[in-house]
Amino acid sequence: MSAALNDNTAGWEPLIVSFCCNWCSYAGGDLAGTSRMTYPANVKVIRVPCSGRINPMFVLRAFQRGADGVLVAGCHPGDCHYTSGNYQSRRRLSAFKRLVEFAGFEPERFEVRWISSSEGDKFAEEMTEMTEKIKALGPNGKMRDARWQSVI
Amino acid sequence: MAERNLDSVKKIREAVSQDLLGGRISQVLGWEKGHYWWQSRPLFARSEADLEKLTWDSFCVINLSRYLLEELKDHEKVGVLVKGCDARAFNRLLQDNMVKREQVILYGLPCPGMLDYNRLCEEAGAVPDGIVENNGTVVLKTDGGEKEVQREDIMLDKCRECVYPDPAAYDQMLLSPQGEREAAERFKPVEELEELPADERFAYWEKELSRCLRCYACRQACPFCSCRECFVEQENPRWQGRAYQPSENFMFHLVRAYHGTGRCIDCGECERSCPVDIPLQELNRKLIKDINELYGDYEAGLDAEAEPPLLTYRPDDPAAFSEK
Repeated sequence: MSAALNDNTAGWEPLIVSFCCNWCSYAGGDLAGTSRMTYPANVKVIRVPCSGRINPMFVLRAFQRGADGVLVAGCHPGDCHYTSGNYQSRRRLSAFKRLVEFAGFEPERFEVRWISSSEGDKFAEEMTEMTEKIKALGPNGKMRDARWQSVI
Repeated sequence: MAERNLDSVKKIREAVSQDLLGGRISQVLGWEKGHYWWQSRPLFARSEADLEKLTWDSFCVINLSRYLLEELKDHEKVGVLVKGCDARAFNRLLQDNMVKREQVILYGLPCPGMLDYNRLCEEAGAVPDGIVENNGTVVLKTDGGEKEVQREDIMLDKCRECVYPDPAAYDQMLLSPQGEREAAERFKPVEELEELPADERFAYWEKELSRCLRCYACRQACPFCSCRECFVEQENPRWQGRAYQPSENFMFHLVRAYHGTGRCIDCGECERSCPVDIPLQELNRKLIKDINELYGDYEAGLDAEAEPPLLTYRPDDPAAFSEK
């Protein structure tokens, strides 16, 4: 692992990839924006149709390609646009979260949150909290693809 | 060698030859002796002459259910000899709709546990010329003489920890059942790893996985890896890079294990077939343990009708993350 990746000098800013479900969390992000709330620019949002769309390989690929933290956000249980997508993802991602922790990732690196479309404030809060936690942890070198050069 | 098994072999041969020669099935999957006495390899018997080669001894470890995926393409109906883990593997394939129940006749063989060649050699101090099995003990014959050891001590790890030696699914039970074995502490290595700090755990896996050759033997041997196209060979998107580096090793092993969540029957074939001894069972068992803790006890493969935990949900499920 290259030394530069683990270099926690003043210039380092974490990269957080957030997968947001189209119907709740992404709309929650929209509300945060239109309500002029601020959250750190470290978070890069990727819109997915549902939290049930999350293939765990998305998360691992994000870590390979430079993410310091990954956050999956979906509708609250019971509110899924597709009725049961988030119920399914709750089971899958719970098992997966434990597995990545078992592989040696810090628990903070991968998180799942339920954020509804009316919770613009919660969206901004969660994104801020995640960024702060990852800042405190430092850069992630685990599973980083050594060939991958960050463009950010 | 293994004289006491002659009766069993005769019994098995009689039962399957009735169906094979009677035309009920066109092929029987069993075992025959390999090049060495400590190897039994799969036998694809289609005639009476083939059946002469059929054997049943302490080295019939290879899981035959996995071969059904290929064999059912060419045969209407196939007979398979199944041990405890093979029957659970069959249930796994059945649940995945990879085989049809009516195309298969299962001959149940309660399994006494298979022997580990490496342990045999270790106990004997050399490569033994042969073994004689008694009740509960095994006599190892070498140039230097004979040595009697407990059977349990020279069994494969996966068989020592086996709880269900009797087939969970069968059409005909050919031998008398072994009865349930005592539950081994199969989660102990997982628990020990869980106690380590995250960085040490990562270092452990980085070291273990660094040996991976990406030969995919674990996948080939595995009854839950029955996808027609595996993610490691998918070109677009290409999930699995070919490069030899830690990142790609983690990608393969985490995803392979994860695909078995709530599906892994804990037969240990992946670990046994691994040429570089990666403790793959620890990854599989971590997932079994978590699923049991979070969503209730589930033993994959025991009951083909039971719903696998990741195919269902309850509105009040717990989560491994904060739900505030």
